[in-house]
Amino acid sequence: MKAKKIIKRTLGLAAAAYAGLFCVFYFDLDGKLLYYVVEPFMKNHFDNMERRDPHTVPYDMLDSEYMDK
Amino acid sequence: MKKPDLSKLKEVDFKKAARDFVYGKPHGERRLGDLYIPKTGLYKHREWRGIKDTMYYFNNIWLYNYGMIVRDLMVYGGGPKGAVQFLKGTWRYRWMGQTYLTVMHWFDRCLEGMRGETLKASAWHFRGITSACLYQITGFFNRDLNIGGDPALRAKTIGTDETVWGGIIYPYMDQGGYYLPTQMIPYFVTCHCNNHTVLNYIDAVQAYGLPGDPCPMCQAEAGIYIEDDVPDSYVAMVTTNEACDSSVGTSVIQDWMMNKPLFAMPQVMQFDDDSVLENCAKEIEMAWRFIEEQTGLEFHWEELKKHIELQNKQTQFEREKWDVAANTHSYPINGVAQALYRIFYSQYGERPFWHDVDAKVKKIMEKCVNEDINTFPMTRHRVIAWSCAPLYYSAWCTWAYNCWGLNTIINMDSLMFDLDIRTDTYENCLMDIAKYHEWAPMRRMAVGGLQHIFELWENMEKFNCDMVMMYDQLQCKGMQGVVGLFEDEFRARNIHAIWMPHALPDKRTVPRSQIRQIINDYMFTVMGEEPLDPSLLDFDDIDSW
Repeated sequence: MKAKKIIKRTLGLAAAAYAGLFCVFYFDLDGKLLYYVVEPFMKNHFDNMERRDPHTVPYDMLDSEYMDK
Repeated sequence: MKKPDLSKLKEVDFKKAARDFVYGKPHGERRLGDLYIPKTGLYKHREWRGIKDTMYYFNNIWLYNYGMIVRDLMVYGGGPKGAVQFLKGTWRYRWMGQTYLTVMHWFDRCLEGMRGETLKASAWHFRGITSACLYQITGFFNRDLNIGGDPALRAKTIGTDETVWGGIIYPYMDQGGYYLPTQMIPYFVTCHCNNHTVLNYIDAVQAYGLPGDPCPMCQAEAGIYIEDDVPDSYVAMVTTNEACDSSVGTSVIQDWMMNKPLFAMPQVMQFDDDSVLENCAKEIEMAWRFIEEQTGLEFHWEELKKHIELQNKQTQFEREKWDVAANTHSYPINGVAQALYRIFYSQYGERPFWHDVDAKVKKIMEKCVNEDINTFPMTRHRVIAWSCAPLYYSAWCTWAYNCWGLNTIINMDSLMFDLDIRTDTYENCLMDIAKYHEWAPMRRMAVGGLQHIFELWENMEKFNCDMVMMYDQLQCKGMQGVVGLFEDEFRARNIHAIWMPHALPDKRTVPRSQIRQIINDYMFTVMGEEPLDPSLLDFDDIDSW
């Protein structure tokens, strides 16, 4: 009896999860979340990220030895 | 209390509504443009394609691919450690964190309106591309010293320009040799998937003081370095001149800012001269010696041969596909899937995931041919797309079929690498590899000489096309030089050709709505035709991915 109940509950939860995912899919909720929440958040993060100044890299030729061959 | 107005209900044809629910609306009644939320390109709701195709899309494309993304990350990344590296990389690099999470919308845009076997076969192509991207993304992050990657893996990895063919690493793959095209994932694929990101890199170059008129592809590629958005995942770099001086300029900036040993492998453009082939072969051998010096790997002829033979199988299957596309109405792959999959695998080189996709597509294609399925039943014109395409609007083919019945059968980039590489002797193999290198993107036809860019005419006939979509990359000085010659030929040959102006990755120069307007104008005024789906004529997707 207990096993039957567990199976029923598991199947019910799986069906509910499947239906929920279908709603996410059909109403493009994944797209809306990414567009209105995730992307602006990530953009803000990247816009404010500290970056290396490219001028700190010396302008020389590491490969000169190879090229001379 | 006001009584509900039931008179409208009486007007509803319930029989038809039920039929539309079960089978989906017929092409002329879909009104796909009504599904968009203005400006964003998001859907009010995703398309209802009938029960069978909607559930196929939900289960076998949307759910399946989200699941496979996780699977690929774990498998290619090498388990939980790879997943941690992926999260670190997502947080560190804009081209990852702001771009690729939107991948399923890329599927949506390219597969709009597709049904049945066409939906299935085209989606498999995108599955292959996504898997290849994840293979490279995990390859970047697992080796990246910026985020705690593995120096031992990095020591066997060579970075390259994206137009250095991936086969250059074939002789070393059994020893862990790894090839990373440094712009393919941080730049090229981003423009297709989510074109917001690339604008940062173009702007970075111009803010730095470099001119804004060269090819925006080269600007973006250089901008990734100026923005310090390059993983430190490879021990040395092999560059090529790609197709123009602008690309060489990119290499100069890359060489400076990555500060690693670099081998410049020049690729000739006027490749018809046999003497340049020998020179090209020597350059490739020098590149191999460079890789061996930098990584300590040894050249294994049998390993090279093995991968070349597998790659030849891919090329042979591609020809089967072309045969079906050219001579039947049963080709189940839409224009954008055909174009992106082909250029990706032929440039990146042979890997197992391509063979998995090809096996599935072969099965679908055989079914379509055997059962004589008309895969694009609303085709009014068979289109060949020529020159370099707008990366930010590669899905135009899908729109053009849905709106006007313009079915893009084949495109120039798909036809570039049409070569079986011989493996009978090392010398023959090397010569064919040299030829393959010479036939790289933006070079084989675009700058290979007039007779090659004019291969359009024979391919138009071969693929039974009656219309040309002529891409017009406004910042490509090479292709701008032949506009007049094409105009003359189109006139002389009485060919319907639509010029599609664009600026490769930069949607700000010619927005997608303007591209659509140009096609609409031609179809109305020159062809005198009416749209299949008027809702798609004019909609605002300026801020969409």
